Amino acid sequence: MKLNKFKEYFMQGVFFLAACVSILAVAIICYFLFEGGLPAILKIGPLKFLGGQVWRPNNDMYGIFPMIVGSLYVTAGALLFGVPIGILTSVFMAMYCPKVLYRPLKTAIELLAGIPSVVYGFFGLVVLVPAIRSIGRTLGLGGNGNSILTASLLLGMMILPTIIGVTESAIRAVPSYYYEGALALGATHERAIFRTVLPAAKSGVVAGVVLGVGRAIGETMAVIMVAGNQPRLPNGLLRGIRTLTANIVLEMGYATDLHREALIATGVVLFVFILLINVSVSLLNRRDKNA
Amino acid sequence: MCRKCKVLILWLVLVLILSGCGHEEVWNPDNDITIVAREDGSGTRGAFTELFALEQEEGGKLLDMTTLEAQITNSTAVTIGTVAEDEYAIGYISYGSLNQSVKALAIDGAKISEETIKSGDYQIARPFNIVTKTYKESSEVADFIHFIKSRQGQKVVSEAGFVSLEADADYKSSGLSGKLVVGGSSSVSPVMEKLIEAYQQANPQMEVEMQSTDSTTGVTATLEGGYDIGMISRDLKPSEGSRGLQATVIAVDGIAIIVNKLNDLDALTSAEVQKIYLGEAMTWEAVTQR
Repeated sequence: MKLNKFKEYFMQGVFFLAACVSILAVAIICYFLFEGGLPAILKIGPLKFLGGQVWRPNNDMYGIFPMIVGSLYVTAGALLFGVPIGILTSVFMAMYCPKVLYRPLKTAIELLAGIPSVVYGFFGLVVLVPAIRSIGRTLGLGGNGNSILTASLLLGMMILPTIIGVTESAIRAVPSYYYEGALALGATHERAIFRTVLPAAKSGVVAGVVLGVGRAIGETMAVIMVAGNQPRLPNGLLRGIRTLTANIVLEMGYATDLHREALIATGVVLFVFILLINVSVSLLNRRDKNA
Repeated sequence: MCRKCKVLILWLVLVLILSGCGHEEVWNPDNDITIVAREDGSGTRGAFTELFALEQEEGGKLLDMTTLEAQITNSTAVTIGTVAEDEYAIGYISYGSLNQSVKALAIDGAKISEETIKSGDYQIARPFNIVTKTYKESSEVADFIHFIKSRQGQKVVSEAGFVSLEADADYKSSGLSGKLVVGGSSSVSPVMEKLIEAYQQANPQMEVEMQSTDSTTGVTATLEGGYDIGMISRDLKPSEGSRGLQATVIAVDGIAIIVNKLNDLDALTSAEVQKIYLGEAMTWEAVTQR
């Protein structure tokens, strides 16, 4: 009897430790980031750092505003491509897909999720960049293939498996009486899905999109190979930009002193972005539940 | 959506896709030049901006005025790949890394080759240096440096396509054993790889590892102890020298200005190259308006 109780408490302790390790990991990363990055932001001046439009470390100029805009544009573009296709694909897989097609489709999407970012980058470099380059030149729009458009397309492809996976689970988790009730009231198959099931799965869909945004804003290797990396404000859909992540990777190897700290501070900015997105989503969810 | 609209959209997509593939390009001199540059820490970039006077004095400091439209690649290999793929591209690389997939331009009337670099006719050249903290004469670092500067080492250098220096005496292996880490410039890497191979043949007990990053990473990592020997494709800056590093020249390398093979140009003046990289001539048409 006593042994059972001891086992209970022991296992409780083990699970608690496991949870603590996870929280410890986040805490350590937070601490390292802020301890390394905040002094740099204060030294450079928060307004100059976040709003400055010139990034020239060799001349002590550390303005990351072009990179912030670059990251935002590229993420927005990725969402534009990835979210509609992702949601429609998961609706297809959950509600329309013939049984014969389902297994291969699911396997294909899981494979997409498993491809390393560098391989995506090579795919972008070898296929997407020349394609966008010749389309741009044929239509007289200029550019050389390494552009916001290419990066958005590539990132859209990369976040598809994330969005599809989570959205499909969310749709399947909606109780069947939503769908059946709509049918009973005379709705067609399509209307029943888009007017009752999908809205009911809203929180799951939003969760999938947030995961997708997280992946898109943090993606580095693939974007470096296709985005051009010019450290200036975007000046055209078919021209290149540099993202926050690319900025860190391109220069971390040789940065010293304030330059290195400025790069860590860039990491802090990224971290804050993701925090903001997660917080606003949970606020939205809470308001939804109360409504 | 009506049937007609669906068919129309399908056609539009098809046209867009087909216009992108298998299309015979007619050279259009009004197209933008794809200007390819290296990242800030690259020794090749440092040497290039200095030799083509791309720096301007502002407030007591020298600013690198390379146009912000320039595409940044982070190694010699990616520069070659980018220029080989894009007909309107121009870039700069180490002469030793030049291969058949791109075309090197003659600058100010001089074609690039070992002879013209040595004679000074081709003026765009820079020294390859290796940097170390102070080392003992008996250590593995000293032995490897002796090998590089010896007759055998300099033979490897000139066979690799670089300009060799006056060699010191012959090298005699002293049978040392140990491990060395050499890292830095991606321009120096090809010749360093061959030097390491030859050195390891003469000293089978030595293990030498090479990492290819860029010149300034080579300096920083050597200072911090990550590399035993750093390789840089430029001279040491005074600020780096004052931190206790010493540099030894191991070869002289030319910087090749490369364009795509489909580009008709064979030569440019240094003023024209400067115009391109300062962003003052954005199309090939604008450059050749002499």
